[in-house]
Amino acid sequence: MPSRSIDLPQGTLDLLILRTLSLEPLHGWAVSERIQQISSDVLRVQQGSLYPALHRLERRGWIKARWGASENNRKAKFYELTKAGHRQLELERDAWEKLTAAVSQILGTA
Amino acid sequence: MLHDLFFRLRTLFRSPTAESELDDELRFYLERQIAKYVKSGMSEAEATRRARLEFGGVDQVKDQCRDARGISFVETLVQDARYAARTLLRSPAFTACAVLTLALGIGANTAIFSVVNSVLLNPLPYPDPQALLAARPNDSPPDLKDLQRQTSSFDSGGGVNIEPMDFTGNGEPMRIHGAFVDAGLLQTLGVQPMLGRWISDDEDVKGGPRNVLVSYPFWREVLGSDVHILGKAIRLSGNSYTVIGVMPGDFNLPKEPADVFVSLSVAYPEAAPERGVHFLHTYWRLKPGVTLTQAQAEIAQVDGRLSEQFPDTEKGRRTILLPLHDWLVGNIRPALLILFGAVGLVLLIACANFAMLLMARAVARQRELMIRASLGAKNSRLIRQQLTESTLLALVGGAVGLLVAKLGTMFLLALKPAPLHRFHSIPIDARVFAFVFAISLLTGLLFGLLPAWSASRSDIAEALRANQRATGPSRSLLRSVLITAEVALALILLAGAGLLIKGFLRLLSVNPGFNPANVMTMYLQLPATRYAQFQSQTNFRRELLARINALPGVEAAMITDIPLAGNYVGHRIVIDGRPTPAAGTEPQVQVLSIMGDYFRVMQIPIRAGRDFLPTEREGQPLVAVVNEAFVREHLPGQNPIGSRIDWIRTPDPHQWMTIVGVVADVKHSGLNQPVDPAVYSPFSQNDEAWRRWMTLVIKTRAPIAGLVEDVKKQVWNMDSQIPVSDIQSMDDLLAVSVAQERFNVLLLGIFAALAVALAGVGIYGMMAYRVNLRTHEIGVYIALGAQHRDVLRLVMKDGAKLALLGIALGLAGAIALTRVMVSLLFEVEPTDPPTLIGVALLLAAVALLACYLPARRALSIHPMTALRCE
Repeated sequence: MPSRSIDLPQGTLDLLILRTLSLEPLHGWAVSERIQQISSDVLRVQQGSLYPALHRLERRGWIKARWGASENNRKAKFYELTKAGHRQLELERDAWEKLTAAVSQILGTA
Repeated sequence: MLHDLFFRLRTLFRSPTAESELDDELRFYLERQIAKYVKSGMSEAEATRRARLEFGGVDQVKDQCRDARGISFVETLVQDARYAARTLLRSPAFTACAVLTLALGIGANTAIFSVVNSVLLNPLPYPDPQALLAARPNDSPPDLKDLQRQTSSFDSGGGVNIEPMDFTGNGEPMRIHGAFVDAGLLQTLGVQPMLGRWISDDEDVKGGPRNVLVSYPFWREVLGSDVHILGKAIRLSGNSYTVIGVMPGDFNLPKEPADVFVSLSVAYPEAAPERGVHFLHTYWRLKPGVTLTQAQAEIAQVDGRLSEQFPDTEKGRRTILLPLHDWLVGNIRPALLILFGAVGLVLLIACANFAMLLMARAVARQRELMIRASLGAKNSRLIRQQLTESTLLALVGGAVGLLVAKLGTMFLLALKPAPLHRFHSIPIDARVFAFVFAISLLTGLLFGLLPAWSASRSDIAEALRANQRATGPSRSLLRSVLITAEVALALILLAGAGLLIKGFLRLLSVNPGFNPANVMTMYLQLPATRYAQFQSQTNFRRELLARINALPGVEAAMITDIPLAGNYVGHRIVIDGRPTPAAGTEPQVQVLSIMGDYFRVMQIPIRAGRDFLPTEREGQPLVAVVNEAFVREHLPGQNPIGSRIDWIRTPDPHQWMTIVGVVADVKHSGLNQPVDPAVYSPFSQNDEAWRRWMTLVIKTRAPIAGLVEDVKKQVWNMDSQIPVSDIQSMDDLLAVSVAQERFNVLLLGIFAALAVALAGVGIYGMMAYRVNLRTHEIGVYIALGAQHRDVLRLVMKDGAKLALLGIALGLAGAIALTRVMVSLLFEVEPTDPPTLIGVALLLAAVALLACYLPARRALSIHPMTALRCE
């Protein structure tokens, strides 16, 4: 299985986290599971980079954290998108789409 | 940005919580991951191992999270501070030098700042002090009453006069300070008694009840803190007074201390109705919303009315209102501000030395910095580390400086300059703390930044090549600038001190007009109750002088108002044969009533005519002796002997006094004050019964130990109820009269000495450092046969050049800056060339010495050692 997964390009982790959290508030573990699941196991988030990213996004004010009960009724830290986060998500999504469009255009013509 | 700051702050204050939350969060992740693997069929142990492996180093992740959260700022600070403390402790000599340098600079500044704070910045200890005004000149009680009645700009106004009173009943009679007040005074100052009440308006009338309020110190020390004192009687100047109140501990009259407060109309009914006697200090409290200008205009109107109504005594009266605080500190403000500026220059010099110390240290630590840089430390990180270190040093320096300041203020108080009389101690309050903290922080950051920045700019590769001897051009330039600035600042201070010293020496060399050697003075006042008649006063004086003259060792004793003691009585006069000037415009002269051999005792030369004769007393023809200033001003080109003068207050026909002699001028009001025309007349011929005070002046052949006790015994043999006070020698009086000037000279002198020493140390340090760097070069030079002279020239050239440049700049600065000192200088121009040249030479000598000492060490460099040390 690990052979199928690919490393995340620089800078995309924030986008993925924001997108994942835009659906519903999640705790850290669920974020990584969700990304893996939606991408059909292609994208795997290194735990070592997930948490620093979450904390960085929280500091920027794009997501906020609160403590709640998890599915198995344990205390867990849930993250949810703020208004600023939604705006940021739109910005990054635009940028990403432009980037991928441009990249595939180059790949297609060359 | 704001959010970011808030977040950082929260992590700073809630650091333990944030840490445990992070732990919880990561643990939760791990547990879920393990649970997931277990669900997929792994054994518990296998799942744990796998999850851990995937997760990587927990601490690393935590570190990254902390970084992401921004907690690193505080942590780095703590870490840097710890590191700085460790490295500083490892080089105690450097640390001690740096801390001491700053402690001196900061301490001296803090001491002066706390004086400035107490004297200039702290508000007066009365409610709403901005509304308080002082009126100049003094006024008489009836005029004060008129002003109170005819103005509407003020909430209240009041007057006070401090006079000695005699407190009897507790053993030896005591001379105390009595405040003769009107009922409006306390209301004006707005301070309530601690016990009891103030004198009411209806008690403040002639023949009113004899009531007294006492000060807190008097209540505590003399009345034994008696809480049942209200209603009890105490004896003051021969009368019994009922205590009706005790003032609070922090209460003081604006100008002078007072022990007891009595109604002027009750205690001094003779003076109260006299319109012409202007002796009250008056204070006013503005109504809210009224400006000083409006109040001044209204007072001027009343002044105009009064001078028309009472032309004899009030003609041309002009009352001037001043904010009370200005009036109290007006004289001292320029001196204090100049001292504050001077001590600021000292701090700048100390800071320059501090910066150079740091630079030398940065060079010594270059290898360490290089290693850290090559391991990937960013420049900003290295600068920050060095800044933390310099700030830590500066803060420690500030803390030691507080200690220096505390000692400094005690020293300042011990000097007893006039403006600090109000203060028993100079508190180090919150404002002083803030001041120390601010200048320490600023010093550490600003003067740490220079060396840190210049160290970070040196090229690592080049430094490696040069075998850790890189002193980039920028650094040596910075050092030169610092040295030059230091020397220039020191010269400015030295010039200021030199000018003050010269002025002070001039002042001391002023001939006071009398010989103070072996002259003892003391003050007594006859109680009005027993010496109401002038003749009884004269008899007492005559008898007392006879007794004192009979004491062994006494050359002569006399009675008068002595110079430099602050006593001054002025009268207007008319001169026989001249047209009488309009009322109120007659010339005013100083009047000195004397009994005994004044001119012989004080060795005041007689310029013309003769001294008084012992027979010239009451009932004999009236005579007077005048000083030279009198002749210059009123009888120029005339033979003064035989001219006749009279006081204007004598009703017609005139009782002319014949001038029988002229004496040399005496500096009565101060060595730096002009001499007023003065008229001396025999005490017994000057029938002014209100003048019940006298100063005994006793000349002895040599200092006599028991003299004061013998004199007191003679006084008390005649009247045991008369206190003897203000016992001081004429020499002491002379010294006290220049205390303020001495204070200025001493402080500025100390600052200048400190500045020169610091600048000398700075030059020495730089030269020693350069010689060290050039050991190799000098060794080669010597090996090639250079003479001592050549080596000295080589080494000293740089330092001498910088010192000379500094001196030149300093001279320009001094010429520009010493102008602000004009008001402090006595008969010295602020650009006095001899002084400026003198201090420049002095500083040049110090600078050369500071260059020479390290240079001499260069001479002893052995070529072989120098080459080997490569």
